[in-house]
Amino acid sequence: MEDFRFKKSWLSALVLLTFLVLAACSSDEEGGASEEGEAAEDPDTITAWAWDPNFNIAALETAKESYDGDVELDVIENAQDDIVSKLNTGLSSGTMKGMPNIVLIEDQRAQSFLQSYPEAFFPIDDYINPEDFASYKLAPTSLDDKQYGLPFDTGVTGLFFRTDYLEEAGYTMEDLTDITWEEYIEIGQDVKETTGKDMISLDPNDLGLIRVMIQSAGAWYVDEEGTNVNIEGNEPLRKAFENYKAMMEADFVKANSDWSQFIASFNSGDVATVPSGNWIGASIEAEESQAGDWAVAPIPRLDMEGAVNASNQGGSSFYVLNVPGKEKAAEFLGQTFGENEEFYQDLVNDVGAIGTYTPASDGEAYQTENEFFGGQSLISDFSTWVEDIPSVNYGMHTYSIEDILAAEMQNYLKGKSLDDAFADAQAQAEAQLK
Amino acid sequence: MRKLKRIGVYTFLSIAALVSIFPFLWMLVSMTNKSVDVTQGRLLPGGHLFENVRVLFESVSMVTALVNSTIIAVITTFLTLLIGSLAGYGFEIYRTPGRDRIFNILLLSMMIPFAAIMVPLYRMFGGVSASIPFLGIDTLAAAILPTVITAFFIFFFRQNTKMFAKELVEAGRIDGLSELGIFFRIYLPTMKTAYAAAAIIAFMNSWNNYLWPLVVLQSPENQTIPLLISNLGAGYSPDYGVIMTAIVIATLPTALVFFIMQRHFVAGMMGSVKG
Repeated sequence: MEDFRFKKSWLSALVLLTFLVLAACSSDEEGGASEEGEAAEDPDTITAWAWDPNFNIAALETAKESYDGDVELDVIENAQDDIVSKLNTGLSSGTMKGMPNIVLIEDQRAQSFLQSYPEAFFPIDDYINPEDFASYKLAPTSLDDKQYGLPFDTGVTGLFFRTDYLEEAGYTMEDLTDITWEEYIEIGQDVKETTGKDMISLDPNDLGLIRVMIQSAGAWYVDEEGTNVNIEGNEPLRKAFENYKAMMEADFVKANSDWSQFIASFNSGDVATVPSGNWIGASIEAEESQAGDWAVAPIPRLDMEGAVNASNQGGSSFYVLNVPGKEKAAEFLGQTFGENEEFYQDLVNDVGAIGTYTPASDGEAYQTENEFFGGQSLISDFSTWVEDIPSVNYGMHTYSIEDILAAEMQNYLKGKSLDDAFADAQAQAEAQLK
Repeated sequence: MRKLKRIGVYTFLSIAALVSIFPFLWMLVSMTNKSVDVTQGRLLPGGHLFENVRVLFESVSMVTALVNSTIIAVITTFLTLLIGSLAGYGFEIYRTPGRDRIFNILLLSMMIPFAAIMVPLYRMFGGVSASIPFLGIDTLAAAILPTVITAFFIFFFRQNTKMFAKELVEAGRIDGLSELGIFFRIYLPTMKTAYAAAAIIAFMNSWNNYLWPLVVLQSPENQTIPLLISNLGAGYSPDYGVIMTAIVIATLPTALVFFIMQRHFVAGMMGSVKG
């Protein structure tokens, strides 16, 4: 009898405990639960995923303020790689549960999502006029003549440089304007000789600069259809590799192995130039002691026909997912990012984000002079260059091809011939992406 | 000669100790510095600690994340220990046909990486969401349930049970205890060290777990510490001083649990090897 009672008390304790555990977990969730229940109808709250509180999240918050529709926007912060994992898991499981209404996706990744899960996204042609946006943003954000993405920020590149170092070596803004990468290398050698400073900081495993170079000539790792690997016989890519090697051999490269070292390279004043997407400006301005020492020239171009002094690095766009509330989400984007010029001025003033909505670039905020950059009208310069960026089809496999190319780059730097390196990379990429 | 050898050994050990403790020191130093100083590799403590702490608690919901992580880790640890030890005990004490075969299959499941079962799991929880909302996606329960029972802990407790004197079970039966009574009144008190070791491992696993909470928890109110730290480094110009501060705060609970149970931990781990 004693035994029985004991058993019973333990069992009831267990049952009680299980209930407690479940109750503890569910008490926090009541809000979430009721949301799920309403999800079948049109929700009053739409959610958005983005990754930088000082940049794209701030932009969404600004948009929320300027929007007078009857919808609540809930912006959720997630790291970019985390968004990619979450989207991939959620969309491939096919449930769409827990997915947001609006999600920010980097342009170079967009096609892999659009082509893998076309049903999961909601076309927004009825809510915006794609022609209002920079033309190079449209190819990555659309599929089968349907516009899925609302083009957000531009990754328009510039050559950020230390005016004091360059001056010491005898160069002015004019000497850096509209130059080729060959000329850039010559200047770099002079700078190294006279000032002892390195010209550039590079991560040997990151081919970001190669991408900047080839897009300035309208080329990419894949052909115009975005499907076939285009490495062998890709003239711009060949030129870019040659320039890269020439830089390495000119002995003015400060190697970095991650993002923080890259930022340190210019914050510490060790390098004279930073060729990069415009978004690096915020990190350069973070070192206040260097105010007035910086300026931005157009990015150098490849020395070949059709290449321009404008390119792109990074940049992302907003997508509406095919879940309840999609019309409201598309309406929200359409009436803010899609047509409100006034809002784009706030975006520049408050957030420092340069959009790709072309009618906005005549606005007042775009003409503001930036004291940190010696009074240069930075935003205005950038938005002029945006118009020249050649449009390319990024295809679905930018990062997987780049992994292969990065390995071949090392072989090439060690002495392998470029023909062999490209042939091997081409074969490997084709085999892998079949 | 012997003295010389000793000096050599101590020098080597000191260097090794310094190398292994350096990242931790670096972390502590960096939480007192500005982001720019961190990226430039400053090794001296700065005066930016309070600023970093202030920015951290103002910009993100650190407290919510700490509470969530604690709820998840404590419940997970408790359930893992309970279920794992019950199963490990059962496997070792009760002789049933085919138990070793079943046990081997169970061990094989340790080889399946979590990423492989993530999508089906998500689908399952997505399916449950509609009918049982408090177990569905974006609930702490969903973050806990798939992690509470692992082959590792069943294995761990079975190995440890091998050291448990089976005569005690017989004695308990003769004295009229029920089978559960034997487990809770005799087995559990004698296996304290094994439980302590398992508790540390389970707690650390759960506290640091990243992939599954990342995928299944969507709203900021349900965020855990690793997710929050990942978000801090997400921007185009991350503030490394603040990130280091968050990491130090996130490391404290695991360090605390470890130091409290350290003695048991070493003993328990040795037991599992000997077994």
